[in-house]
Formats: sequence, C-alpha cells, structure tokens
Amino acid sequence: NKVSSFKIKLENGGFLEGLVRGFKNGISKEDYRHLTQCDTLEDLKLHLQGTGYGHFLANEPSPLTVSVIDEKLREKLVIEFEYIRNHAYKDLATFLDFIKYSYMIDNIILLITGTLHQRQLSELLPKCHPLGIFDQMETVTIASTTADLYNAILVDSPLAPFFKECISEEDLNEMNIEIIRNTLYKAYLEAFYDWCQQKGGATADVMCEILAFEADRRSIIITINSFGTELTKEDRAKLYPRRGKLYPDGLLELSKADEYEAVKRVSELYAEYKPLFDGTGNNPGDKTLEDKFFEHEVTLNVNSFMQQFQYGVFYSYVKLKEQECRNIIWIAECIAQRHRAKIDSYIPIM
Amino acid sequence: MGSLFRSEEMCLAQLYLQSEAAFACVSELGELGLAQFRDLNPDVNAFQRKFVNEVRRCDDMERKLRFLEKEVKKDNLAIDDTGENPPAPLPREMIDMENKFDKLETEMKSVNSNQEALKKNFLELTELKHILRKTQQFFEQIILTKYKKNNNQAALYQQDQETHVPQQYDDETPLIASEFSRSFNRFGFVAGVLMRDKISAFERVIWRACRGNVFLRYTEIEAELEDPHTGDKVNKYVFIVFFQGDQLKSRIKKICTGFRATLYPCPETPQERREIALGVMTRIEDLQTVLNQTADHRRMVLSQVALNIRVWLIKVRKIKAIYHTLNLFNVNIEKCLIAECWCPVVDIDRIQLALRRGTELSGSSVPSIMQQMQTKENPPTYNQTDKFTSGFQAIIDAFGVSNYREVNPAPFTIITFPFLFAVMFGDMGHGLLMFLFALYLVLKENRYMKHKPEDEIFKMMFDGRYLILLMGLFSIYTGFLYNECFSRSINIFGTSWNVRAMNFTDNDVFLATNPVVTLDPNKPGVFRGYPYFYGIDPIWQSAENKITVQNSYKMKNAVLMGFAQMIFGLSLAFCNRRHFKDKLTLYCELLPQLLFLCALIGYLCMCILYKWSVWTVAQSNTAPSLLIGLIDMYMLTDPKSNNRVPLYTGQYQVQIFLVIVTVLCVPWMFLSKPYILYKRSKQKKGVRLDSQSDDDVAILHHENNDANYGKQEPESFDMSEVIIYQAIHTIEFCLSCISHTASYLRLWALSLAHSELSEVLWSMVMHTGLATSGTSGAILSFFVFWFFSSLTVSILLVMEGLSAFLHAIRLHWVEFQSKFYKGEGYIFSPFSFTLIVEGKVEE
Repeated sequence: NKVSSFKIKLENGGFLEGLVRGFKNGISKEDYRHLTQCDTLEDLKLHLQGTGYGHFLANEPSPLTVSVIDEKLREKLVIEFEYIRNHAYKDLATFLDFIKYSYMIDNIILLITGTLHQRQLSELLPKCHPLGIFDQMETVTIASTTADLYNAILVDSPLAPFFKECISEEDLNEMNIEIIRNTLYKAYLEAFYDWCQQKGGATADVMCEILAFEADRRSIIITINSFGTELTKEDRAKLYPRRGKLYPDGLLELSKADEYEAVKRVSELYAEYKPLFDGTGNNPGDKTLEDKFFEHEVTLNVNSFMQQFQYGVFYSYVKLKEQECRNIIWIAECIAQRHRAKIDSYIPIM
Repeated sequence: MGSLFRSEEMCLAQLYLQSEAAFACVSELGELGLAQFRDLNPDVNAFQRKFVNEVRRCDDMERKLRFLEKEVKKDNLAIDDTGENPPAPLPREMIDMENKFDKLETEMKSVNSNQEALKKNFLELTELKHILRKTQQFFEQIILTKYKKNNNQAALYQQDQETHVPQQYDDETPLIASEFSRSFNRFGFVAGVLMRDKISAFERVIWRACRGNVFLRYTEIEAELEDPHTGDKVNKYVFIVFFQGDQLKSRIKKICTGFRATLYPCPETPQERREIALGVMTRIEDLQTVLNQTADHRRMVLSQVALNIRVWLIKVRKIKAIYHTLNLFNVNIEKCLIAECWCPVVDIDRIQLALRRGTELSGSSVPSIMQQMQTKENPPTYNQTDKFTSGFQAIIDAFGVSNYREVNPAPFTIITFPFLFAVMFGDMGHGLLMFLFALYLVLKENRYMKHKPEDEIFKMMFDGRYLILLMGLFSIYTGFLYNECFSRSINIFGTSWNVRAMNFTDNDVFLATNPVVTLDPNKPGVFRGYPYFYGIDPIWQSAENKITVQNSYKMKNAVLMGFAQMIFGLSLAFCNRRHFKDKLTLYCELLPQLLFLCALIGYLCMCILYKWSVWTVAQSNTAPSLLIGLIDMYMLTDPKSNNRVPLYTGQYQVQIFLVIVTVLCVPWMFLSKPYILYKRSKQKKGVRLDSQSDDDVAILHHENNDANYGKQEPESFDMSEVIIYQAIHTIEFCLSCISHTASYLRLWALSLAHSELSEVLWSMVMHTGLATSGTSGAILSFFVFWFFSSLTVSILLVMEGLSAFLHAIRLHWVEFQSKFYKGEGYIFSPFSFTLIVEGKVEE
C-alpha cells in the first residue's frame, strides 16, 4: 500500500519535486560571506562560478554591469520554471499557473502605469517579468477605462476571473491603478488560497500558511501606505484579502486604524506577527518592517521544503530563488556603487 | 606483484621554482601528469589569489572561442580534429592569442551585425512583397463580389476557403462586403505582417476593442521567413484591417504594436501597388547578391576558425589550468614560488627531468629545486591501471579507496569476481552470449574510445567490457561443469550409468510401462565405477531427484569456496600487518581469528571433503549427517553414545579439542590487545615529549614513513575506548564467521534460481514449439523462438546477470574485503593535461 501510494505521488509531480529540490541549492551562508568581500563585479562572477549558479555569466563579455547579472539571474530562474511547467500536468500545472498569475498582474499594472506616464512600450517591455508574459499583455495600453481593459483585452486571459470586482467606467488614473492592483491581488490570493484548500492534504497545510501570511502582509502594508492619501477607510477595507489570520476581527480593527501605532497594536494581538513589529523602526541598526516581513516569508518558504509530496515546494522554490536573486543583486549594487556600509543587509536564506 | 598488489609509494616533495620558470615547469608537469599539488593558501579567496587576473584573461579567451565555435556550428562547418596535442604556449604568447581572438571576435561580430541588418532589410522587403501580393488578392475578390452580386454567396464561400476566415464572420461578411464594394474609397485600411501563433488572439482583441466595427482579412505567407536576429525560420500571416475614422485607426495601430505586428504602407490603387511591387522585386534581387557576398565572407572567416579552434581551445585550457595550479603555490618569497606536491617515488626522476626541461625552456639560469619532505600525513593512494584492470579497480574504489600501501584487492578480484559470478550464472549458452557481446565491445574498442558513447548505461557496460568478457568466459566454464547449455545437458564423454544393467524382469516391457525407474549404483554394472569425465553426468538432466542431488552438492561447494575466500582474505590481512610491522595486531588479533575460523568452518570443510572422498556408495545407507555431526560437536556429545556412526575414528576427541580452541580464541582476541596497549601506555608516560611541536608541513626528522603509519596511536590513551572497540571487533568477527559462511550460500541459491528459470523457459516456451509436429510445428517453432530468445536475453542475461553481478559484488565487498581491507584512503588525482583537456576534471 505504501509503495502504491508512493507511486501515485511520483506520478503526480514527484520527478519535478525532486528536480526542484535539486534546483534549490544555490548559495550557502559561507558563499554570502565571500560575496560581500568581493571588490569588483568580476570577483563576484568568479565566486558565483563556484556556487550552484555555475557558469551562467560565462558568456558575458567584460565589463559586467548589475543589469546584466540581474537579467541572467532572471533568465536562469525562468528557464528552470518553464522546464518544470512544461513537464507538469493536471493539478500541478494549475498550481504553477497560479504562481505565474501574480507576475501577470504586476506586468499589467506596470504597463498601464507606464502608459499613463507617456512611456514608450518598447521601454516598458524589458521591465516586465518574463514569467508574467501572455499574449494580450502588450495591448493593455489601448484601454482608457477598466471596463475597456476587461472587455477588450483581459476577458480571455487567465486573469479575467480576478477582474470582476474592479470593473468601472472611470478613467484610469494613478489612484485607480493602485486600487486595481490591490483588488486584483486580493481576488488572486483568495482564489489561490481556496484552490489550495480544496486540493487539501499537505499542499493545503503548507500553502495556506504561506498565502495567509501573504494576505496579512498585504493588508498591513496597504493600511500603512494609505495614511495621508485620499483613500477612504471603507475603500481601504475592500482591498484587504480575506484569507489571512487577521480575518475577520483583525481586518475590522485594521480598517479603523489611522496611524502606525494602531496597526502595530492590532498586529501584536497575533503571536506570529508580534515579533515582526518588535525592534523595527527608522533608527540606524534597526531593520525595516519590510525586511522583517521578507525574513518571515523566507522562514515559511524554507519550512515548506520540510514536507514531501506537496506543491508548496514549487511556490517556495520560486520565492526563495527570487529572494536569492534579490540578495545577489543587492550585493552587486553595493559593490558597483562602492557603498559597502549596507552590504550586509541582505535577507539570508537558511 | 609490483604496483598492482599495493599502491605506489608516494612522497611529499617541495619545489622551489623561479618565478620566471614556474610557468614552464608547471606546464611540463602537466604534460607528465604525475604530481598532485597541494593548496598552500587554503584561507585565500578565489579572487584574492595571485594569478587571478591571468585566469580571468583565460576565461575571456575561452568565452570568445566558445562564441566562435557557436558561429562555426551555426554554419554547419566541420571542426578540424587532427588529434594534435599542442603544448601550452608560453605566457608571452598569450597576448598574441588574445589579440588574435579579439580580432576574430570583432570581425565576426561586425559581419554578424552587417548580416543582421541586411537580413532585416531583406525580411522587410519580402514581407512587403507578400503584402502587396496578398492584398491584391483581397481587393480583387471584393471587386469580384461586385460583379457577381447575384451569385454572392458562392463567391464568398470561395473567398472564405482561400482566406481561412472563421465561421463566426459569416453573418457579417456579406453586409460589410457589399457595403464595401459600394463605397470602396471611404474606408481606410492598415496592412501588416504578424506571427502565426498570435493571429487568433489578435483577431479577438481587434474585434472586441473596436466593437466589431472593423473588417479583418488575413492569409498565411506560404514561404517560411527567417528571423534576422535568431536565424530561426518563422511562419507569418499577412493581414489587412479596414476601418472608418481616425479614432479606430489609432486604436488599431496601438493593438498592432502591442502584438508586434509590422505595418507596411500599402497604396490604394492597383497601379500604384504594381509599381511598388516592381521596385521591391528589383531591390530584393540586389539585396540577395549583397547577402550572398556577406555569407561568403563569413564562411571564409569561419573556415579559418574551424581549422584551428580545437588547438586553440586546448591551448587556452592548458594555460588556465597552469594558472589555477600556480594559484595553489606559496608566493610569499620574492622571485620564487614554493609548491608542494605528492608524487610517486619511482617517478621522481621523470619529474626532475621535466623540471629541468621547463627551466631550460624558460631560459632561466637558476635551476628549479625539488626536495623530498618527511611528513606525518597520509599520502594519497595511487594504483596504476590500464584499460584491462581499470574496471576491476573501479569495483574496489566504489567501496572505498584503499589506505596508503594497503593490499589492493583488485588483482585477485580479476579472477575471483568473474568466477563467483559464474558460479551463480553457470550456463554455457548464456555465458557464450555474454562473452560474444563483450568481445564485440573489446574489438570495437578503438572506435568507441574515439567517439565517446552518449548513453550512460552503454558507457557503463563499455567501461566494464573486460569484466564482462571474463564473466562470460567463466560462465562458459562453470556451465560446462554444471553441464548446462540453455538448461540442456550435452553428453560428450558418455554417461557412467547404465539402465540395462539394472536387469529388471523383462527389461523392455518394464521400461515401456514404467515412466520412472530407480537406478541403484550398488548393483554391479549400473554405475561404471568411475564418474563422468568432467562436470556433472548428463543423466542427471532426466533424473527426478536432480534438484535434491545438485542442491546438496552446490551447497557444500558454496561453503568450501566461501571458506577458501575468507581464509585468503585473512592471509592478506597477514600481509598487511607484516608490511606495516604491526606485530601486536598480528599475534593478538589475526592469529586467534585464523584459528577461530579454521576450527569452526575449516573443520566443517574438512568433513565435507573427507566424506566425499572416503565414504562410498555402498556405505551410503549408514553415512553420518554432517549437520548432526556439527550440532553434536558443539553439544559436546559423543556420536557413539547416540548410536550414530562416527565419520572417522577419534572424531569425538578431535572435536572436543577444536571446541576448546574455538572458545579460547575469544578471550585471546578480546583481551590481549587492550592489555598490551595498556602496559605500553604506562611505560610511555615517562618518556614522552620528544616530538610535539610540529605542524603538518614542517620538515620533521621522523622515522620511516611506513613504520610510522601503523603506529598512529591516539595521543591520550583511553582504556575504555580501546576495550569497547576491541569488544565490538571481537563480537563482529565471531558472528561474521557464521553469517558470512551462510552468506556464501547465495552462490548455491542464485545458481539454483538461474538453472530453474532457464529450465522453465525451455519447457514452457521452446518445448511447446518443438513438441508440435508437422508444418504447423515448424511455423510455431519459428515464432516461439523469437519469444524464447528475447526472454532469454531480457530475463536470463540482463536481469539474472545483473542480480548475480550484484551478489558477486556483495560477496567481495562484505564477505571478502571485511577480513583485511580498510578502504579509508583518498585517491591520487594528479595535475594532468590529458584529463583536463578531455574534460574529466573540473578545475
């Protein structure tokens, strides 16, 4: 019986899971220490050759720039992800597509904002994340209202179901776009959460934990960022994803908050989030709340690798790799700009 | 037995190289491939080392060469492979090489960018040409509809067929088309080219975004177009969109840019279109000639590159390897580099010669100095192998690389491994097939060596071809002993049994009516008196009790072979102990071990042989059971007291003696060594403190390396640790004597399984074919044979062979090597260009 269930699990993405566990090995603590000691980007390249990243920069002519490293890192991640996606089917394929949707949302918002600021499409496209590219994406620039955007372009993109809540005849403006982004994200997170819940098993255990945190983080950040803007409290409450641990009581309290301390008070009622607010602040030496959130996210994602035969590892793999790339880029930026004081404030991955 | 028996004697040598001669010297050593350099700056980061800039320059050269190689491959030019092995160029030649590669790269890049621009131009013109041609068709069709108003539907049908307009447009088309034909000039239109995979999404977006107020036509360009950037072939569509008003126009244009469609100006009147088309055609022709010329130029440059690129790559790799090695050296002293390396003692002369050559080559006046060092560190293990022994050595190394100068089991494995395999795989036919397969690999060796097989499994078999060859050969031999060929026996020398001599009453009738008869060897004439000349008598093939008889025989054989191999293992342990001058272990551990094994299992083997040779058929009714005898021996019962026949006179006394020896061996093994160690440590405590202050590199005046090796005691003597260690070893050995002997019974079990499986395959498959008579039998046999042969190969040869192989490996690793082999060494990995160029070593 054990063997047969193992076999079923193998057929259900076991090969890919093994692959992902292999891909995960990137940079060790020791490597980070060495990387921060590099004097030039060439040194960085030399050292990265000895890590799991291998010769990914071998074909780049000198002198290196940070943007080239960034591009290559991203390319590597995308190749790995696409490989997995191409070999996945059924539920795993849906799951991987869910991961892609968040990048699609980012890309759409990026393009709309860019067009609003009269930027050329050719200038915006390289900034789009390659994981979030879809056929109709580049035409979003023609839309002037959200209804337009939905009816003309996004209706047969995978994002259509998330769009229902934000259709209006209003013209697109800055405020509007932020609201669209957050409404989209809310719908996306809720859909993703529900899908994982319905999938059940270890996938639900792992993913719901991660997505709940993601939802709460968004709620908190939205609240903090809304202070001093014209966003009303009712509108703000509509943007909170309703799947986190804060739902429903915490969100209700959060919607009433109108200063940072109030947010802090609400969050401290929750054991998971209390430590994140401790010791944050703008004093030198303190970590920012954002960094604390990132650290917590990394912990959750690392924990997801502790369980086998579940899809959480795929999500965590993407998130951890992204964090790792951000770290490398941070270090590379610090080296390139000769600004070594803050070089150690990357988010280590345990 | 030379170097096969033990690994090469190694020594640690210090090299003092003049800075200007260092490069040439290391290069010579790399060609020689006999020195393993040690990293003298383990604390220094990769990018802080001395020659990191040179390594980086090499990296850059490699990158350029890879780029050129890619271009060569893109043009399908063959890379010249003369098998030449150029020496590493001197450092001053590096700048020349760099310049050369740089020039080639820039030239290649400029050619490429030129070509790309031209191709882009060409692509645009071709697309325009297609647009003009296709739109012409669109317009013509529309005009056609004007004349054929009566037969509107039919024309449209035809039009649909040609242009692949999806069905959903059926309702709209007539309306728009007829309107269109009336007021042809009031509409604006945009024409362009789009990738094939985007067309359906494009169509839908256009439809939705313009709320159905436009008219889209598209058709495929039959010819494949070339993407100027990637060089891939792509399929594209020509489309034309009709619309009314400027707002729609800007919207459509936005959508077009969104889908990365290329728009082309398209005049409205047919005359103008024709004129442009003519112009485009001539320009395309001109461009084609220019393109051809560029391609020729490119080919010329690349053919030069293809001729040399292999040699260049080898050169660059060698330089890079040299600088990597130089980075390991100590550079703290001015004008001099200090290196440390392990090298085989026998090859010191060759290394010194290489150093002298290197110094001469670099023109340095001061010679490079090589000096041997004394060290306490364990040297690496270096077993020289050739293509024949490497497969066997690999089996040993997979378990663990032997300690320095420990007995290497590989030479014995050459015989014992295929033999034990064959005992389990004994069948002439199967052995022959295996032998022929391996023979093919061996004969085609040169071809496969040159073109390395890609397939991993095939590569593994190829690496073990000599092993498989011997396995096949031995299987033929054991198959001959078992008298089995595809489970059938061969009667070569004539059986020793005679059925007629049984003298049944009315012989013929009796034989005809009784399917089974019993042959009694005690009757005169039934058994010839001497056995079948060699191997097992073929008459057993038809005997009912074949398995029973063979089981008893093969089981005993397995125990005998197992004992022989274990005793051999112990005697190798004697060699080890004597070599390392470890008398303590020899007398306090090995000797009791040997006695224990001999008294326990050796005695059993003696009994088996005695019973085989002395007891005859006539006595078979009264022959004592060996198993009962063994139990009696340890119950300390006299066989006579139970009315059992003794195997030989005086059996009881001998057995009592052996039991006492066995029991005495245990405390001997367990207590003597810890006691002596304890005594020694007490003596030593007074006379310590002479050799304390040494780090691992410093030159030390110690005793002989080998003597030193065996005596590496822990600094502080811990009695309890020694006792526990010894207790574990004693228990392990005593238990393993029994369990390992039992484990050798797998020889019998696997052999039984193999012969039974082939028997079943024969009787169930091949026999059904052969038993059918007439034409149908022939046809049946023909088909059954395919079935039979494929099953023989897949089950008996591959699966059974693999399982016998694994069991043979286990018998060697666990039962044999545990008696003497430590396997805690590390392998000698010399700095060698041959390995680096072949890509076997990651630098």
